[in-house]
Amino acid sequence: MTTWAQRRKRAYPGKAIGKAALYAALIGLSCVALLPFLWMLSSSLKLDNEVFQYPMRWTPKTFHWDNYLLIWQRVPLTTYFRNTAIVAVAVTFAQILSSSFAAYAFAKMRFKGRDALFMAYIATIAVPWQVYMVPQFIMMRRMGLYDTLWALIVLQSFSAFGVFLMRQFYLGIPNDLNEAARIDGLSEYGVWARIILPLAAPAIAALVIFTFVNTWNDYMGPLIYLTKDQNKTIQVGLRRFIQQYTSDYHLIMAASLVSLLPVGAVFLFLQRYFIEGIATTGIKG
Amino acid sequence: MRRIMAVLLAAVMLACLAPAALAEEDVTITVVAWDIATTPYYQMYKEAFEAANPGLKVEYIDLAAQDYSQKVGTMLAGGDKSDVLFIKELSDATNWSAQGYIAPLDDYIAADGLDMGAFAGMADCYVDLEGNQVALPYRADYWVLFYNKDLFDAAGVDYPTNDMTWDQYAELAKQMTSGTEGVDKVYGSHYHTWRSDVVNWAVCDGVNTLADGEYGDLAYFYNLALDLEDAGAVMAYPDLKASGLHYRGAFAAGNVAMLPMGYWEMGNLVSDTNSGDMSFNYGFVAVPHKEDVPAGSTFGSPTGASINTASENKDAAWKFLSYIAGEEGAKTLAPTGNRPAFINDAVAEVMALVDGFPTDEASKAALIPTAVYLEWPIGEKVTELKTMTDEEHTLIMTRELTVEEGIAEMNERAAEILAD
Amino acid sequence: MLNATGLGGNANRRYRAGKLEKRNTLIAYTFLAPNFIGFFIFTLIPVAFSIALAFLNWNGGALNTITFAGLENFATLLKRFNFTRNELGVTLKNTAFFTLFTVPLSIACALLLALALNRAVCGAKVFRTIFFFPYIASLVAVCVCWSFMLMKLGPVNQMLELVGISVGKSWTQSREYAIWALIIVSVWRNAGYYMVMYLAGLQGVPAELYEAATVDGANGWHKFWKVTFPMLTPTTFFVSIMMTIYCFKIFDVVQIMTEGGPGRSTKMLVNYIYQLAFIDIKYGQASAVAMALFAIVLIITLAQFRIEKKWVNYM
Repeated sequence: MTTWAQRRKRAYPGKAIGKAALYAALIGLSCVALLPFLWMLSSSLKLDNEVFQYPMRWTPKTFHWDNYLLIWQRVPLTTYFRNTAIVAVAVTFAQILSSSFAAYAFAKMRFKGRDALFMAYIATIAVPWQVYMVPQFIMMRRMGLYDTLWALIVLQSFSAFGVFLMRQFYLGIPNDLNEAARIDGLSEYGVWARIILPLAAPAIAALVIFTFVNTWNDYMGPLIYLTKDQNKTIQVGLRRFIQQYTSDYHLIMAASLVSLLPVGAVFLFLQRYFIEGIATTGIKG
Repeated sequence: MRRIMAVLLAAVMLACLAPAALAEEDVTITVVAWDIATTPYYQMYKEAFEAANPGLKVEYIDLAAQDYSQKVGTMLAGGDKSDVLFIKELSDATNWSAQGYIAPLDDYIAADGLDMGAFAGMADCYVDLEGNQVALPYRADYWVLFYNKDLFDAAGVDYPTNDMTWDQYAELAKQMTSGTEGVDKVYGSHYHTWRSDVVNWAVCDGVNTLADGEYGDLAYFYNLALDLEDAGAVMAYPDLKASGLHYRGAFAAGNVAMLPMGYWEMGNLVSDTNSGDMSFNYGFVAVPHKEDVPAGSTFGSPTGASINTASENKDAAWKFLSYIAGEEGAKTLAPTGNRPAFINDAVAEVMALVDGFPTDEASKAALIPTAVYLEWPIGEKVTELKTMTDEEHTLIMTRELTVEEGIAEMNERAAEILAD
Repeated sequence: MLNATGLGGNANRRYRAGKLEKRNTLIAYTFLAPNFIGFFIFTLIPVAFSIALAFLNWNGGALNTITFAGLENFATLLKRFNFTRNELGVTLKNTAFFTLFTVPLSIACALLLALALNRAVCGAKVFRTIFFFPYIASLVAVCVCWSFMLMKLGPVNQMLELVGISVGKSWTQSREYAIWALIIVSVWRNAGYYMVMYLAGLQGVPAELYEAATVDGANGWHKFWKVTFPMLTPTTFFVSIMMTIYCFKIFDVVQIMTEGGPGRSTKMLVNYIYQLAFIDIKYGQASAVAMALFAIVLIITLAQFRIEKKWVNYM
């Protein structure tokens, strides 16, 4: 598809200007997009008093590279990373599996109460967590999940978001494909595993990214459910740098940048799946 | 196979029982607070208390300062059984008491004959709406005026004094202002973006409160602050707010002559001085006063602790609570540079001996204020009124409303809140 | 020609639907079970409880302190209801305004970015990663940077000055502009996020459709409206619903950038809910406001589902 697009482009020589404008816009926007990172980087190398200096300075007076050492000494960052990784990986797996499974029923099957049930899923997204947080907390506590990583895993593994996203994507896959497969004698589970799932690779990649990023960066859930230091995840752990009367924003930014690395890696690794047109080959059939 | 399982099971059970059997003699008091790892006095309390009370052990649960109230509120709603709860926001004591989360202390106080007068009124904010004492303060930060001695020396201006009116203060701030932005600018004073830093001085007369629904008394202080802003003597509120500049950073930068701030700033200044990060000498005096108010009147915000209703070791919890809030605790706290709620001349002497504390007489004298009033009185609508005044404060300070309009709006909204 | 390639023939769809109808309900339930059980226990039950709370008095104490309130919570909130003074009215108005602009702008930006980067643009991979950055970056960092850019003498005001628009204030500190600062930051973060969704969606557009359109002599603009956009409607449908819900639930950006101010000019529904639940400790009223929010979002979502059949193309 990309090569095809390229061929089309060459047919119109006048497009060069348009392309230049496109690049200019993309580069301009990129600069603005990168600004927060530059700010994080510059802040992470400053002293705490310098971070919110006004007028703002982009380059630190002296570069405090030792901030990056300090963050590991001041708080058990390794523990936080391990906990976050456990939760993020577990949630992502459970989420992908359970949502892609449930979405198949919503998108490709017909059964009693389907639309009502689906609306219930969507409707819960609309309720702010702040409202049902306390009842949920009481319940979790009774189940003995309070202050365990399990609390976060079971909370986030069954989100309506994933089901909705996968359903929308499945709906875009022609029904001819699964009808044909059924006629060929595949069971519903077979259709899901052999036909739909491979075609949904771009959506799964997107869902993995969203789930991983959201779990990794989640703050409120761990704040409420985790108490002991050895159970904390990175976003809550970072708050230890914010104290009542002082905030070590330089250390927060250093630790935040470090904590972004795994997320960035996941994105870079997965983005090829929703780019290289895996789906198109299937739809031709 | 079965036998192995049985042996294993027995081993596991023994392993579980062993520590339990050992721990039986000691009662462990679980204490919930914030910033424990970074605040030295928690550890000092623990050591001193455990030494004085054999058989009692203290175990802290360290929570983040940010969102502390929300986190603890949720824990308590879920039936948490921790013994002692530190209280960060004043409103938490009233709220938690109304919810039945924290236990009234009156019986304990009566039984122990604890002298409530020693708190000089700072314990009053922990009386709930039914008149029960539900928490005790261990630390009381009242507001003082910090100043940069080096800037006053350089300008050849006399230091601020313990008896200064607000008008004199404004004059002084303007006098100390010089230079051009970005080159050699010196600001005469600095207001943080909080409402309390700009206008709470109105309660220092002991008559006005912020909960009476009548805010005309704030106009004087709003006009004073906005006038200083116009004169370039303080940084502009919208810039401070938009840039997120912290008052600590502003004062530490060394180009701010005066800073009205809570006593907690002392802890930072002391530690900066001792670590060599401080680039100038500082001192502090009592906050200025209005003509008709005695010098040395200020307002304060105590920090306290309470006992969880669901605690299974209430007596032990009370021992710990009365220890930190009482005289022994005050003596433990004073050397750290923080101000105990329990204070007398002896304690003040200990405080002034702390390394890094300003050595002049005026600073030492400012340690014992004439009168300390509560930032907020106790009342049913206080949280609503607090939110409302904070909101209107931003409108006045960004000049979206004039002082008169803003205060009129405060009065109208307060009337609605109080009528409900 | 386009129809012949299989773009949404209604007769076809109905025929297929008829066959689907006969599928075994039991099998469908086995597909749903793993997700539904977790969803039911950990989300649906607490949500149902919070709905009930809107009709109860509870201040968070022991469960036996709960009393029935009827419509009292709603009555308290609606007392002196108007859009200038009443808390619910003000936050409702702010949230609606915010949503009205953020949703379409985010969708447009996300779509534009995805279209630009779905092609063989040199360095597309790098750009895609960069535009996703604002979403994964620390929210504090993003908000601080935008606050600086929108300051009184910041670059945005200077640029506007060049085209003759004078703001003369820090955006976040002005009743007029603060909400726009929030809209800009939200659009900025969401554009990169939903770009990913659109990129995934674009992979589902069969190349033959473009080839067929080219044979028909369609130009780029036509192809977008006749092929790309219709094929992306399931994604757009998803994005618009998720965005609407996100906007109605906006909270953290506000908390960091403006704290709802100046005054109450950027106070949103969830900020109000937060205040009721965790500062004023009135869970019943907090739930009542949440129900208002819930009802609004539900109506919008149902309406979108209802008109979905008119504009969304499923194969």
